[in-house]
Formats: sequence, structure tokens, C-alpha cells
Amino acid sequence: MLKMVVGIKWVPNTTSVNIDPKTGTLIREGIPSVVNPHDLEAVEMALRLKDEYGGKVTVITMSPPSAIAGLEHVLGMGADKAILVSDRAFAGADTLATSYVLAKVIDRLDYDLIIFGQETIDSSTAHVGAQVASWLDLPYVYYVTHAELRGGKLVVRRSLENAHETYELDLPALISVAMHSLNPRRVKVSNKLRVKLENPVKTWSNKLLGLDPECIGLRGSPTALSKIEMVPKVPRKNEIFRGDAREAAKWLLEKLRGEGLLELG
Amino acid sequence: MVCKEWPEINLEEYEGVWVAAFSDNERKEIEEASLQLIGAARELADKLNTYVGVALIGSGVRGLAEEPIYYGADRVYVVDDERLSTYYPTVWGKVLFELASKYKPEVFLIPATLRGRELAPYVANSFRTGITADLTSMDVDENGDVVLIRPPFGGFMLAHIVTRSRRPVMGSVRPNIFPTPERDESRHGEIYEEKVEVPQPRGIRLLSREPILKKEEIPIEKADIIVAGGKGVGSKEGFELLKRLADLLGGVIAGSRKAVDAGWIDHDKQVGQTGKAVKPNLYIAVAISGAAQHVFGIREAKRVVAINIDPDAPIFEHADYGIVGDYREVVPALIQLLEEIRGIKGRRK
Repeated sequence: MLKMVVGIKWVPNTTSVNIDPKTGTLIREGIPSVVNPHDLEAVEMALRLKDEYGGKVTVITMSPPSAIAGLEHVLGMGADKAILVSDRAFAGADTLATSYVLAKVIDRLDYDLIIFGQETIDSSTAHVGAQVASWLDLPYVYYVTHAELRGGKLVVRRSLENAHETYELDLPALISVAMHSLNPRRVKVSNKLRVKLENPVKTWSNKLLGLDPECIGLRGSPTALSKIEMVPKVPRKNEIFRGDAREAAKWLLEKLRGEGLLELG
Repeated sequence: MVCKEWPEINLEEYEGVWVAAFSDNERKEIEEASLQLIGAARELADKLNTYVGVALIGSGVRGLAEEPIYYGADRVYVVDDERLSTYYPTVWGKVLFELASKYKPEVFLIPATLRGRELAPYVANSFRTGITADLTSMDVDENGDVVLIRPPFGGFMLAHIVTRSRRPVMGSVRPNIFPTPERDESRHGEIYEEKVEVPQPRGIRLLSREPILKKEEIPIEKADIIVAGGKGVGSKEGFELLKRLADLLGGVIAGSRKAVDAGWIDHDKQVGQTGKAVKPNLYIAVAISGAAQHVFGIREAKRVVAINIDPDAPIFEHADYGIVGDYREVVPALIQLLEEIRGIKGRRK
């Protein structure tokens, strides 16, 4: 019986982000939010461990209330409980302040294992897992592709650039799941029905947590955005060829050869 | 009022630009990502009129202590300890924290290799300071604050991030964002042999480590010629076609995030903001639409070629030479032409 906590993030689907060509600003309206896809892999890892050994999966997210839709999605996948950590006082948090709140939430839960996704698609910092491990003083391993229990310990595999590694972790511990390593399961109708009937999403505000306002949100964030600038476009030649494929290939190889970019012997 | 979880610090005491340097256990040399960071730190330190310090930790690393100096460091702090022969993020994190706590650098940079990405936020959190991930440049603003610059929104916009109330100012940097400086053996610097309490790893044991024997394949970040495929390639078989073209050109293949997500190519060959930044002489983008986060990864490419069926694909704005057409026709035509030029017989269809 493994008690697991999975942290997820409700993120704008950045693949559909666009820039207003007139103002040069981000068009935010109408961008759908999704559960960060790599966090769905973390949920999948938890559910596989639950399938194998039995257990409970609690999913937490710090977000405005719109993230309830995301929590319902992972409950539909088979998670048992969900906590929306939500308060205006948490707004504007950098990764330090975010990890502080999440650690304080997790500290109130009964857990053996904390699981995060490798990184998010909106900011891709991969910070929060290690920061939570630091607040809670837990052993941790990133980029896990496989986890199993052996004699009450968690044995995990991961790959770095130059090595495959296997670690044994005493519980409680924290892991992050390597992105692209697992295929998240679909939502099950029976689970969705349960979500409708039982309403397993709880909301925790700072009224409940009682955290020092100096440690959370904007005030609890040492890093601050001082300026945003557009990425300057690299000037390119922009020569375009349209027409027959063989003619196009000849045109291109001529151009490249002319610049000494190809050694064609 | 500040957060009671943050130990009180005196900002004035913090000086110098530090880089964490690691050695590749198998090859006994300092990782290239660390050397690149020393070059970037040198530039920043010159703007701040201060020194570049390198924290070199590991087992058997004392013999490498001169190297950071040759690449631009002024001071090297070495912790050479057998207990660091095995890497554990908590142990290495605590050692870096102890070492930097003693000397109080204003800026502390950690290479964002996979290990570094695991370690850096832990070190930052130990200081109760913030950290900026994957910065792409650094500057000093009119207030004298160090500004770490990173692309946040899909590669469109650069966010300038300052850390005003805490120290060190911390950042991580992906490999190959900065060039490797010239090695200069005439440079001088100081080496400090440090004794730091190395804690026992708690609750974690390495059971096995098998080096990945690289198939002598050039990593994309070092390749001179790259043929990259995107969503429009449509299949793994499509990538085999790109591989044939890459082989003929003496290059390697790579992919966009969508191609990686689809499972057609490995993540370590992903080009873009969430993958790798590349700097080939020639980058051929095949059926890649040209999302900003992808284009961000090819800024340093000398020449960009785009092959795309959609004449309105944004990639054409970022290409030197564009071919509007179906890659299933254009790439085989390129292959055939190259084979003819090279006199390779037995044309394949």
C-alpha cells in the first residue's frame, strides 16, 4: 500500500501561443489550458505503482480554480484524491515560493512517495521537484523511466547523457519521471462518474495553510521579471524556389556548393 | 519584513562570479558545458569588475584544477574527496552549498546537463535563493543588478530576470549556448584545496551504473550538417529517408519537438528551446513548420534550408534557401542528385 502524491501544473498549451503582429504582445485570449503533458506521465507512473502494489494517489496543483478541470482529468485516469491549492496570496510565485507552498501542503499529507513530471511545457525549468525535496529533506532522483518496490524500497532506473543508472531509495522519497517515457492512460467513464458523484477535489487556501505572506506569492519570490523583450530575428536570405523537385534539388545544391557548404568531391 | 525561512544575509558581502565544474567520471576531463560556462562567467565578471571562481568537485579531480584557469577562471576551489566518487544530488548539492557559503559569490552558475538540472535547484534552495533556468545571456543593468536572460514563452520573448533580495544570483545554462573559450595555458590563477564535510548519502544508494557506449555518432550540437525533420515527415520511415540524405552530406539527423513527441526520433536529437541549441554550418529543416521554440534552437546555424509543402510555413522566414514542395519528392531528388555527383551506382528508388 503505497501512499503517493503527484504534483501537476495547469499550463497554457504553448504550442498554440501566438504573437499579435501589430502590438508584438502575446495573445492570451482563447489559449486553451491543459495538464502539462509530462505531468500526465507522472500520474501514469503513480497509477502503475498503484496497480502493481495497491495504494492511494493524491494529485495536487497550485493554480487558479480553472485547474479543477485538469484535476478532474487525472481523477478520471484513476487518481483517488485531488487538492487544488489556490489563493490570491500565492499569485506571482517563482519556483522557490511555489515549491515552498507545495512542500507545506505535502507535509500535511501522509505519503511515501512524491512524483513530479520532468518539466513543464510552459517554462521548462525542472526546478520544483528538487526544491520540494530540499524543503522536505528527502532523497530524490530525476528522469526516472521505471520504478518498482523491492523489500519496501523503491528501485528506480534512469538514463543520463552517458550512463544508465539504477538507484534504491528509502521511502519517503521524491522522483521525477523522464518525459516521453510513459504513455498516459485515458480517462475511464466509470472514474468520471465517481468524480461527478463524490466530488473528490478539495480546495486548500492560505486560510487553511496559514503560511507567512512574506514566504509566498510575489513577496516570497526572490526572482523578479525586470523586462521582457522580443527575440530579435536572425537575418536570413529568404530565397525561395518553387517548382519541379529535381530542379529544386539542383538549385539548392548549386547554392550550397557556391558557398562552400558542400564538399562534393 | 522578509520570509522567516530565509536566513539573513548581507548583500554587500557577496562578490565574484562562480561556475560549478564537473568532471566526466569516465573520461577524466572537465565537462565541456562547464568550460563554456567559464567563458560566459568571464564576460560577466569583467562587466562587474570581479573575479571568476570555479567550484570543482568530485573524486580524483585535483589533477584537473589547472584547466578552468586555462579557460578563463581566476580562482579554482577544489573539493577532491573519495566520498564524491559516486554522484548523489543531495550530497553534491550540500557540498556546493557549503563551499559557496564560505566564499559568498554574487553569482553562481551551474551547467544544465541532466545532472546539473537535477542539482542546481537543490543548491539554490539550500541558499533560499531563486534560480533562473536555461539562461541564454547575462548582463548588468543600470542599477548594477545582474540580469539573467531566458526565453520564456515558446521562444518568442526574452525575459530579463533579477534577484534583488537574495544571494547568490543563481542560473543554469544548457550546453552549447555559449562557445567553448580558447584554451590558453599562459593564463594564471589560484587554486584552493578545500576540505568540506561530505555528508553520507541518506536514503539513497546507487545500485548500478552502466556507461552508455556512444555509437561514435556525432551529437547534434557538434554536427556541421544537420537534416532535421518535423511533424510533416509523418512517420519513422520518413526519417530513414532523411538519414540517407544526412549520410550523403556527412551530417546527422535531428527533429522538432513534435517529431520527438511522435516517437520518430530520440529526445537527445531534439532541436529547440526544450531540446538543444545547434550551430551547424548547414541546417536543413524538412517538413518543420517553424514554431518559435524550434527556430530559437537554430539561431546559430550559418545557413538554414527549409523544405516544406506549405508556402506560408513560418520556417521560410527563418531560412536562407527555401524549397516549396513535398519532401517526399524533394529529398529523394536531392539524394539522387548527390549520388549521381558522387558517382554512386545502383540508384535506389
